[in-house]
Amino acid sequence: MGEASKISRYLYTVIVLFVIWIFLTSSLDIQELEIGLVFSLVVGALTYSVFTESGLANFHPKRIIYGIAYIPYFLWAMLMANLDVAYRVLHPKRPINPGIVECETVLTNDVGKLVLANSITLTPGTITLDVRDGKYYIHWIDVKDASIEGASENITKPFEKFLKVIFP
Amino acid sequence: MVKRILAIIMLLIVGFWMANALSGVPFGEDKMLVGKYYLENVKEQTGAVNAVTAVVVNYRGFDTLGEVTVLFIASTGVGALLWRKKKERTAKSEGSVVLRTGSKILLPFIMLFGAYIFIHGHLTPGGGFPGGATIATAFLMLYLAFKDYEIEHKVFEPIEGLAGVGYVTVGLIGLAIGSYFLFDWIWQTWGWGHENIGRLLSAGFIPIIYTLIGIKVGTELTGIVDNMVREEVKDND
Repeated sequence: MGEASKISRYLYTVIVLFVIWIFLTSSLDIQELEIGLVFSLVVGALTYSVFTESGLANFHPKRIIYGIAYIPYFLWAMLMANLDVAYRVLHPKRPINPGIVECETVLTNDVGKLVLANSITLTPGTITLDVRDGKYYIHWIDVKDASIEGASENITKPFEKFLKVIFP
Repeated sequence: MVKRILAIIMLLIVGFWMANALSGVPFGEDKMLVGKYYLENVKEQTGAVNAVTAVVVNYRGFDTLGEVTVLFIASTGVGALLWRKKKERTAKSEGSVVLRTGSKILLPFIMLFGAYIFIHGHLTPGGGFPGGATIATAFLMLYLAFKDYEIEHKVFEPIEGLAGVGYVTVGLIGLAIGSYFLFDWIWQTWGWGHENIGRLLSAGFIPIIYTLIGIKVGTELTGIVDNMVREEVKDND
């Protein structure tokens, strides 16, 4: 996907910053909103060229719905991974089989790659060590399958279902 | 023997002097007259609900101008010590895609957060110095992530100078309108924001000065980072 127009990118940055400002101040006082709008416009003007490439297209309803749906999905995955690691720690025989595996991804968007890497790191048991040319190098507490396809099936595929829609 | 007598006389003099000084202090009452004065008058005189900020920027604004100068001298010192004819980024390897994308996405949020800290200086803990330092970390992150990133010196250095000049100008306007340097003309003469105590648009010139300090500290610390990261390049190799 190519770059969106400057106006679209600028507006997108300002809107995101203004929403963040409302969360920061947690106040709907008109004075806070006025100053927040001024700061959003200024900071947006300084940083929009770095911040976003696709601009307002990020507000596509399908992406927002998938983005919201990703939060409980991710939290559930994190909960299950926590229980899994807790089980391995508490088990007297300590059933671990650690190793570093290589995974591949279908994501092409850099932000998508960032979210995937952080999601993998935040779920206990797996840590992203490096991302290079679309290949993920992951430390895995229990290597079930050392092949690229097998590891990807277990680690990156579950998150990609959502991420490839959110970050096409 | 004479020495001992002299020592005893000295001790008696010192003891008498100290007892005299302490006899005026009533037992069980605090002596923080200045602190009490600030706490009792801070709202009427400065409009700030954060008494610490009112003392730092309003009552002792001249002292804060000195602190800004100290930082400026530190930055100049770093610049002078690390000065070379030709300096360039010499980093060999770029950050990974995670670091690069992350720093790009976080840049506007960190800058907004820095602005949030310095504009709320008169309401919450914080102010121009931490706000400016927060903004500088955004640029530090860009330096770490990209091997050929450099700030635009032609933009940063004039902004830094203008912010410093702006602080002195606010003080001089106070001198012209009121009676002394850094007189709070917005609050005391114009009387703006008297109905807004506790809200954002109050406290006279404190938000203005803290904005200027935030910009100045941010650009200055970024300049220090820039001076430290770039290394000398020799022409003949």
